[in-house]
Amino acid sequence: MLRIDLASRVPVYEQIANGLRTELVSGKFSPGAKLPTVRTLAINLGVHHNTVAEAYRQLASEGWLELKRHHGALVRERDRPQAGPDAMERFSRPLRELVAKGLAEGLSPGSLAREMIETAQKLEGER
Amino acid sequence: MIHLIIAVTIGGIAMLNAAVFWFMPCLTRRDLYFAVTVPPGFRDQSQGISILRRYRMELILLSVLALVAFVTGIAWFGVGFVSVGPLVQVAASFIAFYRARLRVLPYAVQPTMIREAELHGHNRIIPGGWMAALGPFILLIACAAYLWFHGRETSGPFTSANGHEWARGPWGAAGQPDALGGYALTAYLISTAGILVAFTLILYGLAHWVRPVYAGGPERARELKFRRTVSAILLAAEYYITIQASWIVLVPRRGDLATAGLLALAFVFALVTIVVLARLGQGGSRMPAGDRARVASSAVPVGDRTPDRYWKLGIFYFNPDDSAVLVEKRFGLGYSLNFARPTAWIILLLILMAALIPILAHLTRFLHKFGV
Repeated sequence: MLRIDLASRVPVYEQIANGLRTELVSGKFSPGAKLPTVRTLAINLGVHHNTVAEAYRQLASEGWLELKRHHGALVRERDRPQAGPDAMERFSRPLRELVAKGLAEGLSPGSLAREMIETAQKLEGER
Repeated sequence: MIHLIIAVTIGGIAMLNAAVFWFMPCLTRRDLYFAVTVPPGFRDQSQGISILRRYRMELILLSVLALVAFVTGIAWFGVGFVSVGPLVQVAASFIAFYRARLRVLPYAVQPTMIREAELHGHNRIIPGGWMAALGPFILLIACAAYLWFHGRETSGPFTSANGHEWARGPWGAAGQPDALGGYALTAYLISTAGILVAFTLILYGLAHWVRPVYAGGPERARELKFRRTVSAILLAAEYYITIQASWIVLVPRRGDLATAGLLALAFVFALVTIVVLARLGQGGSRMPAGDRARVASSAVPVGDRTPDRYWKLGIFYFNPDDSAVLVEKRFGLGYSLNFARPTAWIILLLILMAALIPILAHLTRFLHKFGV
């Protein structure tokens, strides 16, 4: 299930891409599976089709999807990529903001760490 | 006999209408109250309870006033005023609703902006597919074709003096000729066809034009079940209307057909429909206790995920930014039209035409009778 928040400051296309990536990482779509068409997903979420198309393009550029005209988006066979030198930096920047938000809301560092480990293990386990 | 049938029918409709308006506030989503998005649990708080109590008191008072106006109308204008009865009562009930809505508006809040969509699965909305939806049309065409070839053979009191008009049918609900239902069969068939087209459009709309659920999990499953049930009821109504119409138009040809029970049958059909839909609950209005507790404890109301400003008077939806033609009603069960969409006006026009054709046909005959 894909979930977006129209009131969030994160652009909607990014939320869609993030949500779909989560589904893809957890292996809920096997290689060759078809994602909903841009139009269908746009209607189901009540957003402009360009927004969904942008999210699909982003995932295609990351190697998750193969976009075919008139055939929709197909999930590609994707090997675990080798993390580049700046991959951790790209990951930790938004993570710092998220952790800061959690701490500001009163969550303890320990509980945040536990939650993060559990989430990563859950996603890895679902593959 | 005919007057008794009409009086019982109108009385039944009035009572059904009053009961529906009485329970209506309890039939909508928990965080929609008198068509206003309110905090979860508002209806169980003292303000919510007080608004409901006042609404029901006003509903009784206005319904009694409407009944008095109705009886006075019949005394002054005669039996022709009968059809106005339910309209007077609905108008009175709407006043009670509108006054309650004004009292709820100060507590209005923004609905959630979170939307969810399922990525798997396809849901078939129309039971039996489009072949099932074609059935009523085939039946009506077959009936019209039969009358076209055999209507001229009709004799007795059902035919007019010149005897050439196969489409003449001045008879009433008791199956006997009278002046009440005195308009041409052609008008009756076209009117029925118009209703069928409008119903089929709505059926198509439920599959393609209705606003997406914007929710996943059990809420989505419940809403889709409600939509499938509405589609099934619409389809059943189409068959019922066609069978009733075919039955009635065949009366002049087969004088032995009785039509007296048809009105009662229509009333029972309407009653069963309301009970089934109310029990099912739209938009999760009858969600299990666990889910209800979750909604009541959530900080942000889900509502129907549309801002209140698009609901004019609480019942007319006008949102140019929404591509949906059919949207969930905020007060009542079923679906309303998005009047910002041209398709909505076409549907409305078809329904109005279907209702107006018999009246115009009757009026034309009436004027013709007096040489106008």
